[in-house]
Amino acid sequence: MTDRGEAVGAPPAVRAVRFGWTYAGRSRPALHDLSFTLEPGQLLLVVGPSGCGKSTLARALAGIVPHALPGAWTGALMVGERDVAGTPPGVLGQEVGLVFQDPETQLVMPHVADEVAFGLENRGWPRDRMLAAVPATLAEVGLAGFEARPTGALSGGEQQRLALADILAPLPRLLVLDEPTANLDPPGTTAVLQRLARLAARRDRTIVVIEHRLEALLPLADRVLLLDGEGGQVAFGSPGEVAARHGDALAGGRTWPAVAPPAPDAPVVLQVDAVSAAYPPVAAGPAPAAVDAVSFVVRAGERVALVGPNGSGKSALLQVVAGLRRRTAGTVRLVDPDGLREDPARLPSTALPRRLALVFQDPEVGFVARRVLDEVGGPDGLQTLERFGLAGLAEEDPFRLSTGEQRRLSLAATARQRPTLLLLDEPTFGLDERGRDAVAALLDEGRGAGQAQLMATHDPRLLPGCDRVVALRDGRVIFDGPAAGFLASPPYDPPEPWRLGGVPPRVAVGSAA
Amino acid sequence: MSFLPAPLLVRSNAPLARVTGVTRLAAGVLWLVAAAAIPDARGELVLLVTAVVVLVAWSGIPLRPLPRRMWPVALGALGLGLTAALGNAADRDLALPTLLALGPLRLTPPGLEAGLALALRVLVIGLTSLLVFAPADLTRLADALVQQLHLPDRLAYGSVAAMGLAPRTAADWQATGAARRLRGLAPRTPAGRLAAVPGRLLVVLVMALRRGERLALAMDARGFDSGLPRSRYRPVHAGPLDAVVLAVAVATVVLVVLVQQAG
Repeated sequence: MTDRGEAVGAPPAVRAVRFGWTYAGRSRPALHDLSFTLEPGQLLLVVGPSGCGKSTLARALAGIVPHALPGAWTGALMVGERDVAGTPPGVLGQEVGLVFQDPETQLVMPHVADEVAFGLENRGWPRDRMLAAVPATLAEVGLAGFEARPTGALSGGEQQRLALADILAPLPRLLVLDEPTANLDPPGTTAVLQRLARLAARRDRTIVVIEHRLEALLPLADRVLLLDGEGGQVAFGSPGEVAARHGDALAGGRTWPAVAPPAPDAPVVLQVDAVSAAYPPVAAGPAPAAVDAVSFVVRAGERVALVGPNGSGKSALLQVVAGLRRRTAGTVRLVDPDGLREDPARLPSTALPRRLALVFQDPEVGFVARRVLDEVGGPDGLQTLERFGLAGLAEEDPFRLSTGEQRRLSLAATARQRPTLLLLDEPTFGLDERGRDAVAALLDEGRGAGQAQLMATHDPRLLPGCDRVVALRDGRVIFDGPAAGFLASPPYDPPEPWRLGGVPPRVAVGSAA
Repeated sequence: MSFLPAPLLVRSNAPLARVTGVTRLAAGVLWLVAAAAIPDARGELVLLVTAVVVLVAWSGIPLRPLPRRMWPVALGALGLGLTAALGNAADRDLALPTLLALGPLRLTPPGLEAGLALALRVLVIGLTSLLVFAPADLTRLADALVQQLHLPDRLAYGSVAAMGLAPRTAADWQATGAARRLRGLAPRTPAGRLAAVPGRLLVVLVMALRRGERLALAMDARGFDSGLPRSRYRPVHAGPLDAVVLAVAVATVVLVVLVQQAG
């Protein structure tokens, strides 16, 4: 955490002087009064709650703000010697590379080599230089030999490393990463963070990272910029300085507190027997894993986590359980208190809401109303919204809410149904600590009332709060037991990423590739 | 999860895959014009036979998955052919011999000829489209359109990028239906299903637009369309093979015309 020495007289890599930005049509600024200086070769970690303007800062450093999005600019933001507001994005783009959250909405071309070359073509690189740079950059992010693969057939971690290669190829002086691991499974996260650690160790470019996984990045950071919920600057300094005054903000992720196990004789609510399901092929390349002869039960008041790498069949299994995806073999039975056993795929739609609910990873697909209040419905709709901290938004369009608000709204909608079985697909995806806490509290409430919960998740920090873990690989169950047992020896190779705090160690400078 | 068909795995060293997309387009357009202009079945048959030969010998398209892909075209050809054959004006001319009687409908030689011609024409159109678009991926076609026909990069590669989002949008559509079923709102009648479409469509469109917007921002951030001249990672050159493909296309059309005049 020592400062990286720099030649005296070199201009700072980034310099903000009372910089602020207000999107057109908004009354409150997304960012205001940011003042900080970043020296070349340093790594800056930007920290703050969801919706605090972190992504806006990333966009500004790349010149998308103000050149591609309308709004009002205040103060000054310099990247090297260039004033962002006065520099055409094409020129700024020569120096700045930006990696976004979602791998799928930043990959342009259908094949890997073409994808890396895309940014080089835009900059007018001669072809022989591109032919040399493409394989070299792919090797740099650990994707050597992937040139001819279809981008759609890569795992999330591979896609995000490809996105990293995309912006590394043109040799930018400033690298900006906006939550690059948000969508990734633990191995994918580890792979991306390891590459990032290696880049940082080389110190040949300046890096700005926005990330919720502080424990992984704080050791790499030279500077921390802490923002408040309103886009204002709370602190800027070395991690030590910022931690001394704002320790809470840098405390890292909390784990979900352990829960008392349900009574061992609690009735079975869901019984899954030898279920298989097939994926139709989506793209050329290896066929995605199917669900393969999966069996398990979930009891009343029990919370079961479904874990596994991207593509191991978690979402598919949830859909099979909900009766939304055809199974090719096996049985799924919802057991009601009277012992009646029913196949959710055969239940009429109107009978389903009280039996089971599914909170989608993307809450938007589940919204049916144009008004937040109507989404919850019923005479006590407002009280329900109140409990979920959404009362002030009752008249809003559900599509205009933030990710965290949307997730709480979809939970609120299911809360009114009081389903015996709640299925959740990555319920904390895209949420900050506060959002995760809110979701956790709501789930605890439901579980306390005897609700059974089956939750697909990538986040090891949620596991201590689960009664059991069902771990999948290639569509098969490879572990079914207490969360503590899973965390003690994760059944994956390598196991480290699946442990609590299982993020990559600091890479020694000497080993940097 | 998706109702989009998986892409055909085409042999990339096949002659049709090695010519430029513009060559295939030009040859295809020539054939389509010929197919549309020819009045009789013999000419269409020449085109169809040639198309099949090209498909088998030159295209590198795997033949086994084709029946599953092409049956709608075959069905369309059959339906349209029957309609044209049995609904032909000549069928009411009692002076003509009856080949087949189906209740009030009768089939005459001119009707048979017209029906055959239309059915064959539909088959030629379907097969030609396959030969034009299947042998190379979208990227190569966009390359050819940009480099040979000077289409704007933004249009060509923007479309390539947008196509990449199509599977996600298809998945969204299914998810909206699933969500409604789980919430007890699944429509029970066909009319109800139709009434639910606008609401689901709105959700899917909003999500697709957002996704498109994010993709456009990502493309901008990588310097796309920033005013600098783009260089080409995959240069497109027409070679002798392109000339051969065009020559075959022209020769077939000439042959068709000769067959017509001979008849």
